[in-house]
Amino acid sequence: MNEQNPVPPQIPPVIPSILSSGVRQLGDDPLERVAIPNIIAVIEALLRHPRRMMFQLRQPGAGKLIAAMLFISIVCSLIYGVVVGTFSGGQQLWIAPVKIAAGLMISALICLPSLYIFTCLSGSHARLSEIFGLLAGMLMLTTMLLIGFAPVAWIFSQSTESLAWMGALHLIFWFIATIFGLRFLEAGFSQSNARSHAGFHTWVVIFLLVAVQMTTALRPILGTADTFFPTEKKFFLAHWGDCLNLHDSETKLKSRE
Amino acid sequence: MPAPSAKLKTHPAEIATLLRGETGTISMWSESWNARRFLLHVTVIIFGAGLYGAAMGWWRDPQQALYVAIKFPLIILLTTIGNSLINAMFAPLLGLDILFRQSFSAIVMSFTIAAAILGAFSPLLAFMIWNAPPISPQTISGSTYNLIKLINVVVIAFAGMTGNVRLFQLLVRLGGSRAVALRVLFAWLAGNLFLGSQLSWILRPFIGSPDLPVEFFRASALQGNFYENVFQSLQQIFNN
Repeated sequence: MNEQNPVPPQIPPVIPSILSSGVRQLGDDPLERVAIPNIIAVIEALLRHPRRMMFQLRQPGAGKLIAAMLFISIVCSLIYGVVVGTFSGGQQLWIAPVKIAAGLMISALICLPSLYIFTCLSGSHARLSEIFGLLAGMLMLTTMLLIGFAPVAWIFSQSTESLAWMGALHLIFWFIATIFGLRFLEAGFSQSNARSHAGFHTWVVIFLLVAVQMTTALRPILGTADTFFPTEKKFFLAHWGDCLNLHDSETKLKSRE
Repeated sequence: MPAPSAKLKTHPAEIATLLRGETGTISMWSESWNARRFLLHVTVIIFGAGLYGAAMGWWRDPQQALYVAIKFPLIILLTTIGNSLINAMFAPLLGLDILFRQSFSAIVMSFTIAAAILGAFSPLLAFMIWNAPPISPQTISGSTYNLIKLINVVVIAFAGMTGNVRLFQLLVRLGGSRAVALRVLFAWLAGNLFLGSQLSWILRPFIGSPDLPVEFFRASALQGNFYENVFQSLQQIFNN
């Protein structure tokens, strides 16, 4: 009997290291370690390989990557703002982009400290710069998706005169885009050894409230006004209520005509 | 293994491959850009949907037939282009790692299938219209009008569903997972229906009304939107 075994000894498969929570560690995949050299690669990485982006945010020199993400976010929100401005035209063609870009950036900046605090309270070891990077990634993904919605928004803005309808449509588009942005942020949050997501979910509510209130604080974005900033302070629910009442009275007037 | 040049050759008979849903071949097509194939698909959309549109508009007037023959393919092409960017972004975000080119050609191919079916049904619709009494306020309120409307709905729904079933099979092949393919298909469908409905609203009329003149656009084409109108109709129903 031939004692030589023709079957080669079995080599145990390489199992990527798994965290105690069951989350695969960043950098296990060699693709995630590839540097992100330019803006096109940043867009590509965020859409196709978000883990590569998360890994790169932990590396020294991540500042450039964060700056690139913020730059793309600002450009995308300015472009979407022009589309929003086409509803009223005139001065709104520059006012709407400025207000949308500024509003998004200010909302993110206002919410950054609380995000960091909630992250720490959840047991995460993420540094402030990493959290800032993830937030910039969230903004970038949100605004890029808004650009995707822009042709649809433009068609609707050319075919309706209703402020309430266009406002609702833009809010829906922003909400869908933000869900994807928040998914990226949560995926990054999951990689930071956080024990619980309760703090993160609380922060999401805070961020959404701040962002919608920002649209009221910077109004009008869709419509027109004599002044750049509103002269009256309002809570967003009161503002939406006023818009809907105005819409109802316009509809009644039209049906009488 | 076939030579690369053989892969790039196109032939009108390829439409049969699309209709059969040979996902192996179709997924290979989506991997590389072929201008001739793209042109073939766009031609099928223009002629298929155009012929069906012509049959639909013919009942009102030959001029209406010409207008609808232009408008029908226009809706399909504008919907594809208008949503191309968001559809391409949704695919990787929902777990299907495909390129812009792949998502765009997949959607164009699904519309090609639908347009080929519509084109095939256009002689049947034309025959039915030929047999129908001339359009008038009386026929509008009668059963003929409702029957023609119903047949249009059935044919368009069949063409749309078949196109989407084939699209789903292709997405499964590209992504390897039914759950991911379903997510992506649902997102694409929602976006295309949303924009397509509004474009149809802007480009109305299709069958045409006997009381109104034959025209490409209604004077009120850009006044109000499809969803606003549906909402107002619902409000009226519930207020009465």
